[in-house]
Amino acid sequence: MAIVKEAYKALEDVVGAAYLSDDPVICEGYRSGPAGYEAGLGYERVMTKIPGAVVMPKTTEEVQKIVKICNRYCVPYVPYSTGFYGPRSHCHMENELLVDLKRLNDFEFDEKHWYAVVGSGVVYSQFQEECLRRGGYVVIGGGGAQASVIANLIGDGWSPLSHRIGLPHRRILGTEMVLPDGEILRMGSLAVGDDWFWGDGIGPDLRGLLRGYTGLRGCLGIVTKMAVKVLPFQPERLQPKGISPNTALALPEKRVKWINYIMPSKETQVKAMYEIGKAEIAGAVTKVPLFWRAIAKAECKEEFWDIWLKETPETIANFHIVRVLLIGFTSEEQLEYDENVLNDIMMELGGQPRPTKPSDESWIKNADSAGMWLMCGSYVSVDYVIETLKQATEHGPVYAELKKKYTPPLMPDHGDPGWFQSFELGYQGYSEFLIYWDQDEDTTGVDHFYLETSKMNINHRFYTSLIGPHQPMYLTGPKYGPNYHEWMLKIKNEFDPLWTCHPPVPFAHDEFVERAPWMHELKTWETPKEFPYPQWVKERLAAEAATFRAGLKSEAKVKK
Amino acid sequence: MPTTKVNLETTDLSNYRYDMSRCIKCKGCYWVEHTYMPGVKFSTRCPSNVWNDFDSYGAFGKMRIGTALVEGKLDWTPTLLEVVYADPLCGACDVGCKRNLDLEIGLSLEAMRVKAVKDGAGPMPAHKKIAENIAATHNVFGSAHNDRKKWLTKDIQVAEKADVLYFVGCTASYTNNEIAQATAKILNATKTPFMLMPDEWCCGNTLQSVGMLDEARELAKRNIEMVKSTGAKTVLLSCAEGYRMWKVEYPKLLNIATADLPFTVVHLTEFADSALKQGSLRPTKPVNVRLTYHDSCSISRLADPWTPWSGERGWMGTVSPRLKRRRGTQGLYGQPRNVISSIPGVEFVEMIRARENAFCCGAGRGTKEAFPTLASSSAKHRLEEVKEIGAEVLVSACPWCKNNFAQAVKEDGNHVKVMDFSELVLASLDA
Repeated sequence: MAIVKEAYKALEDVVGAAYLSDDPVICEGYRSGPAGYEAGLGYERVMTKIPGAVVMPKTTEEVQKIVKICNRYCVPYVPYSTGFYGPRSHCHMENELLVDLKRLNDFEFDEKHWYAVVGSGVVYSQFQEECLRRGGYVVIGGGGAQASVIANLIGDGWSPLSHRIGLPHRRILGTEMVLPDGEILRMGSLAVGDDWFWGDGIGPDLRGLLRGYTGLRGCLGIVTKMAVKVLPFQPERLQPKGISPNTALALPEKRVKWINYIMPSKETQVKAMYEIGKAEIAGAVTKVPLFWRAIAKAECKEEFWDIWLKETPETIANFHIVRVLLIGFTSEEQLEYDENVLNDIMMELGGQPRPTKPSDESWIKNADSAGMWLMCGSYVSVDYVIETLKQATEHGPVYAELKKKYTPPLMPDHGDPGWFQSFELGYQGYSEFLIYWDQDEDTTGVDHFYLETSKMNINHRFYTSLIGPHQPMYLTGPKYGPNYHEWMLKIKNEFDPLWTCHPPVPFAHDEFVERAPWMHELKTWETPKEFPYPQWVKERLAAEAATFRAGLKSEAKVKK
Repeated sequence: MPTTKVNLETTDLSNYRYDMSRCIKCKGCYWVEHTYMPGVKFSTRCPSNVWNDFDSYGAFGKMRIGTALVEGKLDWTPTLLEVVYADPLCGACDVGCKRNLDLEIGLSLEAMRVKAVKDGAGPMPAHKKIAENIAATHNVFGSAHNDRKKWLTKDIQVAEKADVLYFVGCTASYTNNEIAQATAKILNATKTPFMLMPDEWCCGNTLQSVGMLDEARELAKRNIEMVKSTGAKTVLLSCAEGYRMWKVEYPKLLNIATADLPFTVVHLTEFADSALKQGSLRPTKPVNVRLTYHDSCSISRLADPWTPWSGERGWMGTVSPRLKRRRGTQGLYGQPRNVISSIPGVEFVEMIRARENAFCCGAGRGTKEAFPTLASSSAKHRLEEVKEIGAEVLVSACPWCKNNFAQAVKEDGNHVKVMDFSELVLASLDA
C-alpha cells in the first residue's frame, strides 16, 4: 500500500472501495506525461509523480472528509478535475493522494436569474450547450471545450468571446470551497445564505484569493461548486453539421457571423480592434496566428508542414488579420447595424474582407485546444498577458526575438509574435505566446527558454501573468511586488499550515530549478538556504531530491 | 534527422509507442465531440470509462498504461487484464482523438491485447472458451456445425451459384435466425440471387478482437479462399462485426488492402440503400412506429477500409510515406437512415448521440462474454437515451447489439421493442 495504511482505510470508509485505489495500474493511468500541456519538459520529468492512491468523491462532504484525513495523517493531496492542465495539476510528491473530482458533476441552471451552479466535473461544452439551448452563452476558455469549468475559471477562463463577456472573475458568483484543512468556505452571496446569485460577499472579495491572476494551481483547497453567470446570446439554434473531423456549427447568418479582414499593417490591425471596442460592437475580435490557419487547412500533421514551411518571416510579418464575430444579440437589425459600423471602420483603415464560412469551428461551442499538439506533439503557452492592445504589439516582437535563440528545439514559427485580441470591448488587450517542440528531442533549450521569458519580462518591465507558481517565486517575487512571494507564503501558511495541499506548490518551480542540474546555469537570483516548508515536507522533498540525483548519476553511468 | 522505422502491425506494441506517448489527456476519446455535445446528459461516448470512472479505463489512461507496458514497467495482473479487456473496442476513442490529432488509439488498444496473448496473460477465460468452440465446431457457441443452415426455411430461395454470397455469421445462423431469414427474404424480394458459403465457418471476430491473431488469420485465409472458390463478386453481411472482419480485419491480418480483396464486401444496410435507389427495394407497407436507429460501431466508425502502411517517423513526428489515417468518416451513416426514412408510417427520431458519436451497446469484440456487467450497463445507459427521445422501437444493424439491448430491456422491464434493421425492412415489404 502506497499511502499510510490507516489513512487508506479511513478514505475507504468515506467513499467505498469502488472509488479508491492504490493499484499500480490504476495509478499509472494518472501519470502526468509523457505528453500533454507542458509535458515532456524538465518540470514534468523532475517534479511529477504517479499518485500513491486515487480517490473519487461524489459530494462536498466526502471531499471535506478526505481532506481532513489527509491533514490527520500528513498525506499530501492534489485536486484533479480533468488532468488536462499538464504536470502542474498532477502529483508532485511520492505517495501523494490524487483527488479525482469527475464525479462531482452536479449541474443546476437557474432560469430566472441566469446563472448555473456547476460541479468540478462539468466541462465547458456541456455547460455551453445548456446555455445555448436557453438563448444564453458563456466563454469556453482557451483551455478547450473539454476543460473543467471550475478549474478553468479559477485559472484562466478567457477566450475571444471575452471581448464582450469580460474577464472570469466578473462571472464567478457564489462559490463553495473546501479549504486545505477541510473546513468549508462559502463565498459571495452564499456566505450569508443559500443563494448563489451574487459574487460579492461580506468582507474582502475572496475571489482574488481564489484565483489571483492565474490561480494557485491547486495548492489552496478544492472548489467543489461554483455559480457562473450566464449572458444573453440570441435565440436561434446553431446547428451542428458534418462528420468528425470536419464538423462545425452552422450559423444563422442574420444573427451570428464571422468576418475576417486583412489589414494593411500592424498599426491598423490594432487600431481596428480599438475602434471596434469603442463602437461597442461584436462578440469577438481577435488576431489569429497564421499557423492556426494552417492547422485548420491541413488534413494531417504532414500536410500542416507542407503548408507551413512555405511561409517565411516576411509573410508572417505582413499578415495582419482581424477576425470579428458579429452577434445580433437583440435582433437581426442589430447585427445589420453592427456590420455597417464595422464596414465603416474597416473602410477607413483599409481592411479588406475575406470570404468567411457561415459556420463556427471554434470558440462558440468547441474550442480546439487539442489541435495545438498536431504539429509537433508538444506545446505550452509560455506567457499570457492582459494589458493593453498596444502592449501586445511591443511585447510580441521581443518575445519572438528571444525565441529565435532557442529554435530549434522550438518549432520554426518564422517569428510569429503570438496571439492577441481585444478584451472587454478593447479596454484591455490579451496576448498569448505559444511554443511547440518535439519532446523526443533534447528539451533543455525549451526549459531554458521558459525561464528566460521570465527574465526578459523583468528586464523589459513587461507585465506577465505567468508569475506565481509558474516561475521561480524567488526570481519573480522580488521583482513584481516587491515581495509578493512573501505574501503568497503567508497566505499558504495561513490556510494550509501543514502544507498537505499539493506541496511544494507554490514553490515547485523553485524546487525544480534546484533539482535540475541543467537549470543551474540560469540561476541568477537569490534563494534562502532552505525553502520555508514545514518540517515533514522538507524531509520528504529532501529525500526525493536525493533519489532524483542518484537516478541522474546512474543514468550518466549507463550512458558512459 | 534520425528516423524510426514504423508500421501498423499490431503484433508489436512498440509500433504505437509514439501514438501512446503523445496522448495529451484532452479526453476527446471520452466526450461526445464538442460541436455535437448535447449538454450535461448523454455527454460521453466511452462505455469502458462510463463503466469504471478511473482514468485507467479511458483511452487516455490506457495510453499511459500501454507506454508503461512497452517500457516493461508493469506486470500483468488481474487489474491490468481488466483494463485491457473490459472494452468493446468500439472506436469512439479513435475517431475522437483523430478529430484533432493523428494518433492511432484504436490500433494501440488492439496491440495491447495482442501483447497480452503473446505474454501468456490473455485473453480472458471466457475468450479461451470461445476459441475452443471455434476450433471444435467452427462457431462461437460450440453448437453442432451441422445445424448451421437450420435457419433456412422453405420459402427462401438460395441460388447454387450467384454473384452475391450471403455470409450469415454465427449469431444469425444459431441464435438469431430471424435476422438471417429477413435478410434472405429481402434479397429474394429485390430479386437478387444469392448463394451461401458451401461450408460456412466463424468469421473470427472474437479471436481477432481479443488478440488471438494467429487463429484469426487462419480463419481469414480459409474464408477468403472459400469465397474465391465460389466466384462470388460480393460478400454481403447482416452482422456488423462480420462486416468489419471481412472488410477491415481480413486485409489487416493478411497485410493487404481492402481494395485487393477479389470481391466487394457490403453490409445489408448498404445493399438496401442501393436497392432502394435502383427501385428494386420497395418499402410500401406502413410501419407505424416512432423509432430510432443505433449506429453499430463495426459498420460506422470502425468501417474505413484498410490499407497496409510501413515507413519512417522523423522530424516532429511526421511520417513518410504519407499515411492516410482511418478516421471513421467512411462509415455507413447515411445508408440505413435513407432506407428507414423511406418506410411509410415510420416516425424516425435520431438518438441524442448518433453516427460517430454513438454510445456503443457494449457487447462487441469479446466484452459481453468476459465482462457481462459492462455490456449490460452500457445497453441500459443507451436505453435511457431511447427513453429520453420517446422512441418505441430501437433498430440496430448487428445481432450483437440486438441481443444485448433485448436482454437489457428484459431485465429492466422497459417497453422498448428492439429490432434488427433486416426485420424492419422486411416488415415494410408487401408479401
